[in-house]
Amino acid sequence: MNLKKPGSSKPEPGSYQPVMPRNWWLQHRYFQIYMLREATVLPLLFFIGCLLYGLYCLSLGETQWQHWLAFMAQPWVVLLNLLAFSASLFHAKTFFELFPRVMPLAPPGLMIAGQWLATLLVATGLVLLLGGWL
Amino acid sequence: MNNTTQPKRSDEPVWWALFSAGGVCFAVVVPGAILALALLPAFGGISADNLSYPRISALLHDALWGLAGLAFIGSVICLPLFHAAHRIHHGLHDLKLGGGLLSKVLCYGSAAALSLLAIYLVS
Amino acid sequence: MSKTINIARYNPQTDSRPQLQAFQVESDNSTSVLDALLQVQQQDPSLGFRWSCRMAICGSCGVMVNGIPKLGCKTFLRDYPDELTVSALAHFNVEKDLIVDMQPFLTHLAAVKPYLINDDQSSQPHRQTPAQLAKYQQFANCINCGLCYSACPQFGLNPEFLGPAAITLAQRYNLDSRDAGKTARMPELNSKNGVWGCTFVGFCSEVCPKKVDPAAAVNQGKVASAGDFIISMFKP
Ligand code: FES
Repeated sequence: MNLKKPGSSKPEPGSYQPVMPRNWWLQHRYFQIYMLREATVLPLLFFIGCLLYGLYCLSLGETQWQHWLAFMAQPWVVLLNLLAFSASLFHAKTFFELFPRVMPLAPPGLMIAGQWLATLLVATGLVLLLGGWL
Repeated sequence: MNNTTQPKRSDEPVWWALFSAGGVCFAVVVPGAILALALLPAFGGISADNLSYPRISALLHDALWGLAGLAFIGSVICLPLFHAAHRIHHGLHDLKLGGGLLSKVLCYGSAAALSLLAIYLVS
Repeated sequence: MSKTINIARYNPQTDSRPQLQAFQVESDNSTSVLDALLQVQQQDPSLGFRWSCRMAICGSCGVMVNGIPKLGCKTFLRDYPDELTVSALAHFNVEKDLIVDMQPFLTHLAAVKPYLINDDQSSQPHRQTPAQLAKYQQFANCINCGLCYSACPQFGLNPEFLGPAAITLAQRYNLDSRDAGKTARMPELNSKNGVWGCTFVGFCSEVCPKKVDPAAAVNQGKVASAGDFIISMFKP
């Protein structure tokens, strides 16, 4: 069989070769949501940056640690972390729904519920621990 | 078909495994971490006393012989970094801005470097 | 009821790109897009499009309806209260009007060896339990219409990507208890243009007229390829 290379730079004579524009993902709602899902990592990176900064401050001592706590309380930081929190929940929703399709181990509804339960348990644990209730 | 030459095996399984592990952490551990370290302290749900220097230091370095701190760093910083690197690398390809070797080295390279930095800072 | 249908016309001899042309068609509750195209062909016999079975089984009538890949015979004008625009399947070269060159799709299908591979020459039938059948049955419902390729931005960005239907077909045979050809198929799937070209956009599964869920098949293929990767590390 002749393996014709589709999409190679030379167009077939007498055929129209469509080119995908860079903004293809803006042209349909489904693709916009896909890009939103991919973009959840950007606010995540901000939160990770905050944590790295916190670890650095912690290594410098108590004064710097107090400085980090003050930094974390600044309105713009809180706002971006609020965004990171929503992004993590949106990511969780998409990730949990895809997982049963990649690894169909149990009925999808059960798997999705189980994963949300795990998120809830971890969150409760972390809040209780850091809040001093544990 | 005269497909005698076999295509080269991709190294994606490595990055995909890290991406998936990081995705699980991003979905299961990160929401709680943001809540406990950023949002609740800011809105007064968690008092500053509980986030004091000695207490956090002890939790990070001493709890469960330091394993708790490492597990936290791994699941909230390192693995999510590789998750983010993977999505940015492929996202650049989606936007026709890269996705080649350069963006691969930059994305996973920075994820690895920042992960090492995080581990160095807790050790 | 009269309805306006815009059709992306392309004549390879005179046009550099497709241009929309509006037609009026009569439509009632049961008029499909394919019926409408047949009406238009009565008005303008030069209109080119493919069709055969009119019952969503031959897979030849794929077109974009308002930018979404659809089977013309399974899509109805009643679901489009306003005008509708019909164009050739995305990501394929257009040969004339709504006719695209499906060769890249067919080449990708053939590349995964989509047939039972088994050296067993016995004359006995290869029995299969209902449970063994269930493993691959959903993935065997593909009618090769190519809608998933037009829905897949990764195929649009990289025409070398094997794509949803081909990888699904590979999975279909890899999961078949009568097949022994997995080792012959894995090299294609393991490559960067195999399963790893996919980022789970998932639109392929949305547009599939047979509910095959190719996105699930491709991503189960990633698990299989990752397993194959680990095994290869322990082999010289
Ligand atoms: S004409 Fe056969 S699938 Fe539509």
